[in-house]
Amino acid sequence: MKPFSIATMVAIMLPLVLLPLASIFLFGTSKGLYSFWAALTAPEAIFALKLSMVTSFWATCFNVLFGIFASYVLSRYNFWGRNALIVIISLPTAIPTAVAGFSLLLLWGPYGTLGRLIEPHGVKVMFTAYAIVLANIFVTFPLAFGVIKPVFDTMSRSLEEASATIGATRWQTFWHVTLPSLRGAIVTGALLTFARAVGEFGSTILVSGNLANHTQTAPLYIFAKFNEGQVEAANAVAIVLALFSFAIFSVLFFARDWLDTE
Amino acid sequence: MQPEEITTIFSNEVAEAAAPAPPAESEREQAAASLRGVSKKFRDTVVLADIDFDVAMGESLVLLGASGSGKTTILRIIAGLEEPDTGRIILHGKDVSELPSRERGVGVIFQAYALFPRMTVEKNIAYGLRIRRRSRKEIKETVDDLIKLVRLEEHRKKYPSQLSGGQQQRVAIARTLAYKPQVLLFDEPFGALDAQTRVRLRREIRALLKQVNVPAIFITHDQEEALELGDRIAVLNAGRLEQIGTPDEVYNKPETEYVATFLGAANLLLGVVHDGGVEIGTVNIPARDETARFREGQAVKLVFRPEDVCLSRTGELPADCQRLTNGVVEEIHFVGAYERLTLRLDLIARQPSEGAPLLYSVTITTDEKRTGVPIIVTRPKPEATTRRLQAGDRVAVGLTAFRVLPNYALATERASRIVDIER
Repeated sequence: MKPFSIATMVAIMLPLVLLPLASIFLFGTSKGLYSFWAALTAPEAIFALKLSMVTSFWATCFNVLFGIFASYVLSRYNFWGRNALIVIISLPTAIPTAVAGFSLLLLWGPYGTLGRLIEPHGVKVMFTAYAIVLANIFVTFPLAFGVIKPVFDTMSRSLEEASATIGATRWQTFWHVTLPSLRGAIVTGALLTFARAVGEFGSTILVSGNLANHTQTAPLYIFAKFNEGQVEAANAVAIVLALFSFAIFSVLFFARDWLDTE
Repeated sequence: MQPEEITTIFSNEVAEAAAPAPPAESEREQAAASLRGVSKKFRDTVVLADIDFDVAMGESLVLLGASGSGKTTILRIIAGLEEPDTGRIILHGKDVSELPSRERGVGVIFQAYALFPRMTVEKNIAYGLRIRRRSRKEIKETVDDLIKLVRLEEHRKKYPSQLSGGQQQRVAIARTLAYKPQVLLFDEPFGALDAQTRVRLRREIRALLKQVNVPAIFITHDQEEALELGDRIAVLNAGRLEQIGTPDEVYNKPETEYVATFLGAANLLLGVVHDGGVEIGTVNIPARDETARFREGQAVKLVFRPEDVCLSRTGELPADCQRLTNGVVEEIHFVGAYERLTLRLDLIARQPSEGAPLLYSVTITTDEKRTGVPIIVTRPKPEATTRRLQAGDRVAVGLTAFRVLPNYALATERASRIVDIER
């Protein structure tokens, strides 16, 4: 029974997940490592990868910090509308990314509610790298929060009370006692957020303008090169992104014990 | 968790030597901690009603009460973790009522110890000094001393999860001692431990406290623990202080029925004050001192402990034993160190005067119609074996000690207001 079950499972996964993944590696390296390397080191490709990393980095920073803060507030204080806020924070998971990008355009775009106000002052948000960061923040908003809040919810209050009676200020307590307990959740939340942001496509394509060497992230680059028929160029970056997610999820999986330890 | 292996912190001799030495009179004058008129309500429920007490320098006071009696709230109020509605908290002569927890300088040993899980034993102990920005040298010296004091030398680099319950508790104590607290507060300190460890640890803690001479307040619902740990015991019931006194006082001279029944077992017999004694049914027990505070004819309760009863088949009672009445042995149970008997006393209700309610109405719901007032008696093993009794034996019953308390229903009225807010 056991070998049969395993075989069935792998057989189902094969065409759905395993083969697609394998094919980007097979195809990407079919013309030799040299051409793969050349495709990868093309200035546009490097720019796209860099831009993805940088925008995802800032989105991650923001969402982790905000996630800690929002978790604290929503876990520690009971107030009218708290549950509504929790639902709203979690909402971006369920919204199609194209809708997310579109709504950002409506707000910040040249004719958008806020866009109209800032445009005359020479401030432009849409179709810049900032727009990409905004889109990333929007779509990854609930990820860090979702991991950190449960830790706050289950954290024993007596640790913080003990710290207070020992003589610590609120800030010292947070720094020395609360934060260390959040370590695992913060790392997990950051990795999830970052991985999700690097791969973001739907909202980015709407808000970034998709200008090569300018506002083109790695997923947009893959899409653009594929459309232009330069499959090899697309494939090289695709391999990097695939390896990258693989690395992040390996860390999440194998470091789970370390991340979870109380 | 590792199997429990706890080395006694102090050998018995040290404990004995360090133990009694009552605080000097001058030291006693300024209390280490005082509560003045502390009250707290939670919505409509009175959690604490006008609590007043002092803890002397070097003294340990036990707050004893059932869950919901408000003892945890008192502790949290002293620590500044909760605010009273009214009243002041004074530590070493300084009113700290308005100060936040961190400025009060109290050491709280939480029920589950609340050790910081990501810090080693030494880091936990050093925490109070580290946040006070003490020098590295001072921190190291203090931590070394304290680790030695609580005998955790081999465990200093371990994390709390690697320690046994008793070791964790010692870390928790050392962690508070590091910043020289004005008073130590122990929240049900032995709740999480098995019975054997509990007994050993409370001896250790008592010896430790005498050594460091820091006043301590314990809260517990365990009467045995209270009697052993406390220089004095404060018995709480439904947010009220029923009695505060030495273990001897609260046990042997309970001032209320609640105290008598909460601390140990007690038999209660209804009676009236008559002619310098207590009249119960047809007998009158002379008790001039005890009845002096009651008026003639007042309804009272005669309260006595099961171990204060002496029994004799021959009818001859020892000289120090005051004869009560006769009775029949109904049941005998052997419960380890002593023997427990149920006795039915030959007390017949005194005929009430015209119109007055019956003083006695004992109803027993068994098939067999039985008369008499049941009491519980315990006899130590030597007596139980030398003077054997059997069910059905008739015996003379006397008392070596008893209390006379007013008979009012207040105890139960209060009890009905108990709301468990501690969890």
